[in-house]
Amino acid sequence: MSFSSSDNQTVANILSEERESSDESNVRVASASYQAEFPYERDGEAQVTRREFCNFLFLTSSALFVGAGGFAAKAAYDSQQKTEFAAARIDGAKGLAPGSSLNFSYPAEEDTAILIRSSDGSYSAFGQKCTHLSCPVHYAKAHGRLECPCHEGGFDAKTGEVLYGPPPRPLDKITIEVRNGEIFATGREVRGNGS
Amino acid sequence: MVRSLQQEGRSVEMEVSVRSEKQQSRGRTAIWQSRLALLVMINLAQLWILSAAVDAALAHEYKQLAPLVVASGICWLIALSIILWWKPVVR
Repeated sequence: MSFSSSDNQTVANILSEERESSDESNVRVASASYQAEFPYERDGEAQVTRREFCNFLFLTSSALFVGAGGFAAKAAYDSQQKTEFAAARIDGAKGLAPGSSLNFSYPAEEDTAILIRSSDGSYSAFGQKCTHLSCPVHYAKAHGRLECPCHEGGFDAKTGEVLYGPPPRPLDKITIEVRNGEIFATGREVRGNGS
Repeated sequence: MVRSLQQEGRSVEMEVSVRSEKQQSRGRTAIWQSRLALLVMINLAQLWILSAAVDAALAHEYKQLAPLVVASGICWLIALSIILWWKPVVR
């Protein structure tokens, strides 16, 4: 099988026409009819080839891997950190009637918390932010639990564990001490399930 | 008559050659498309893994983080292999 130069030229011409109308080599020519109907000028976007897009996807994959790794490392590092809390007296806790609750802040002003005195007279305190989407929980005395009104989450009033609803973990536990009849908050612990 | 037959034969050979080139080009395009589709799927999987990692960290489920990061790493390795090795053969 042998070709003359004119035959080779014909083959080259046909292939070059193919290449010109290929969206891989010339986006403008390939999309001319669409450009006429939907004209827009975005040169950079029009010139993105499959190869470039594949490279971009690989870069995205790398970024997602680094992001997941970095996030996990940061979370694991933060979980190892121990924070020292200063004891703070809870104002108004002394005269709290059994079966009632009191809102307070600990350790910072924005860290809202709730102190509960159950019917048997014992105290327990938890962070007031629901672990689902941070809505404030309230003490439902009739049911003996803490309830989140936003998405109907419920927590045990004595332990702060999730009873039902969407919250993924228990409420933050606030350790309390009774000193000379006064109630003091001495620590705040962020807990996971089973910890 | 003989010349006419020769010309016809040559044009058939030429057509076969062009068709073969076109088929190769189509094959290359298919490979590029499949690479792209695989990379998109890997990206989606990694996006899901990242959201699961965020969810686990916020729920203080630290034991789940390592397997999720490993899964994301495996996805990244597959993407790397696609970019480096799964290429159309140049003939």
